[in-house]
Amino acid sequence: MQTIGWILVSLVGAVSWGVLALHRGETISAAWLVLAAVGTYLVAYRFYARFLATRVLEIDPTRATPAERLSNGRDFVPTSRGVLFGHHFAAIAGAGPLVGPVLAAQFGYLPGMIWIVFGVVLGGAVQDFVILFASMRRDGKSLGQMAKEEIGPVTGVAAMIAILAIMIILLAVLALVVVNALRDSPWGLFTIACTVPIALLMGFWMKVWRPGRTLEATTVGIVLLMASLVGGRVVAESATLAPYFTMNAATIAWLIIAYGFVASVLPVWMLLCPRDYLSTFMKVGTIVLLAIGILVVLPPIKLPALTQFIDGTGPVFAGKLFPFAFITIACGAISGFHALVASGTTPKMLRREGDAPLIGYGGMLMESFVAVMALCAAAVLDPGVYFAINAPLATLGGSLDAAAETIRGWGFVVTPGQMEALATSVGETTLLARTGGAPSLAVGMAQIFAGAFGTHLTALWYHFAIMFEALFILTTVDTGTRVGRFMFQELAGHLWEPMGRTSWYPSTVIASGAVVAGWGWFLLQGVHDPLGGINTLWPLFGISNQLLAAIALAVGTTVLIRSGKARYAWVTLLPLAWLLVVTLTAGWQKIFAADPRLGFLSHAAATSTRIAGGALDASVGARLIFNDRLNVGVAAFFMAVVVLVVISSARVWVNILRGTTPATTREAPYVATSYAN
Amino acid sequence: MWRPAMRIELTAALRRGLQAVRRVAGMPDYAAYVEHRSRHHPGDPVATEREFYAEHVTARYTDSPTRCC
Repeated sequence: MQTIGWILVSLVGAVSWGVLALHRGETISAAWLVLAAVGTYLVAYRFYARFLATRVLEIDPTRATPAERLSNGRDFVPTSRGVLFGHHFAAIAGAGPLVGPVLAAQFGYLPGMIWIVFGVVLGGAVQDFVILFASMRRDGKSLGQMAKEEIGPVTGVAAMIAILAIMIILLAVLALVVVNALRDSPWGLFTIACTVPIALLMGFWMKVWRPGRTLEATTVGIVLLMASLVGGRVVAESATLAPYFTMNAATIAWLIIAYGFVASVLPVWMLLCPRDYLSTFMKVGTIVLLAIGILVVLPPIKLPALTQFIDGTGPVFAGKLFPFAFITIACGAISGFHALVASGTTPKMLRREGDAPLIGYGGMLMESFVAVMALCAAAVLDPGVYFAINAPLATLGGSLDAAAETIRGWGFVVTPGQMEALATSVGETTLLARTGGAPSLAVGMAQIFAGAFGTHLTALWYHFAIMFEALFILTTVDTGTRVGRFMFQELAGHLWEPMGRTSWYPSTVIASGAVVAGWGWFLLQGVHDPLGGINTLWPLFGISNQLLAAIALAVGTTVLIRSGKARYAWVTLLPLAWLLVVTLTAGWQKIFAADPRLGFLSHAAATSTRIAGGALDASVGARLIFNDRLNVGVAAFFMAVVVLVVISSARVWVNILRGTTPATTREAPYVATSYAN
Repeated sequence: MWRPAMRIELTAALRRGLQAVRRVAGMPDYAAYVEHRSRHHPGDPVATEREFYAEHVTARYTDSPTRCC
């Protein structure tokens, strides 16, 4: 009976992939994307995750987990698997799986769909599961500690510096997404501005007035947030209030930079923690709502399976399908950042070893499904509308008429009237060139929600979607700045001891300032970039995130080989090899490509030519050239670190296989579980 | 038809539900902490809810990233 069930699931998945692959030129239903994805996930979880658990990792249900052995009622807390699944999913899912697929939709829906689903099954979910397992067997150690202990101290430090650098690029690009969504949008800006006083109120509620009443305060916070969402419309329609909340990109960028610094220096209970609670509930709630919306409406996919932009001429970002589809979509397919979460709070909460496949592998499948939904939300838009929102103004031309003309040149149809009506229906003045993915995702989500729950609320849905994305991106910005500050202090403490004291106030201020200045620089670079910044920064972020995944997979491979499982090392080596090919190619092209849209060096050269010809102001040009060179340095640094990590890991592997290094691992000793099996 | 036993069951179910919501969101769980102390360290001093909250929140945002991209 079970066998028949699995044959049916496999058939449904295979037929859905067939429909996706064979239909050309006519619209298909989003149902096929959903079915193909879910069918593949189920088969992968049933067979591949089980293979990983029983053969490769040898999960032992009789072995006590750190949560059981070290239980302290604080961070080591045995947690039931359903609850921990929710906790882990809320921790890993963020803006990444929502933005990447929307940007990569410029190639059509098919490349993104294939990479999201097969990338997760063979790469991303394997990475998360193996790292979660390794950390669980090592009392919840972090990725950096495991890199140090299993590979070597130099690799450990290199990994830490890489993590800090990745964090800085990540924060900059996410902040840029928010800036692009909120510029010249009084409704959006008002709602997001309100989250600061709401968070402060919640903070004092939970810490001072009603200590520990987190759910009570969060309920109040959510009610106030919804009120400010509705209030945003009043502000946007008021002639006196709207100008106060209508700001250009640079102003909003500076406000976010100031906010990031203040949030990092203030005590966490005041601002950061309440915002985290608020954004977690909004995030999980909205994702559930989106899933319901897509399943109820099953909207038709209007984007073609493939567009002509696979040749690298796409307006959203430069570069060919290979390798750029595979770095544009990082989260959702494979995300190195998850290795930090999977070696953070989650392994300390696993009640039993047998829960690890569901949490590690299954949690990542869930994130991948979020990416598929984001892809659906982008693909339900008319292609012309999609490109009008996501292409930079410099490419489209300054006016709606010019943009419609440019897009017609690409073979898609959109009329100025259609764009105006769309902007009005979502309560904005313009949607032209709102790059960064968030606005087009919000338009797609608003269409889906309107289809499921009624069209009269379209504007509210749009701003709800914008609010939810901006809220949790800004939460990533403040928690990330704070974590970056601690990493900076730890690294700087090696050079000058007092900087390492996290309780020393000057050290806190200097380290926070340094981290904020780091991402702030790249954020402002993106804001002033004539091509909109996403063009440059998102690929850098993708490269860095995938390289972190490569480091995590190198650690995972080392753990496998050290525990005598060399014959199964291919489970991590295959995705590692693919990521190395993809990221090193992408990094190389970003530095050396002859096309100035793609390569940093040729862009710098083209800029010098324009300055020499008098087409560009010398001071503006000098800044662009400096940024190009800085980006070259960043890309080269990421590539160097990953090559270093992989080479030093490979030396460890070879030595173990030759028998010159003993195949020992740093697993905590076996203790039998007291839970009944 | 209302019996006191039903009320106790409902309250317990509600408490479990709220505890699950708290843990999903990464909120501190004071009741679980108190239970842990009384079971494993009976007689030792127990942090007040105010102290426990402050400590939990500081520890949570200090260590490693709690939120991904």
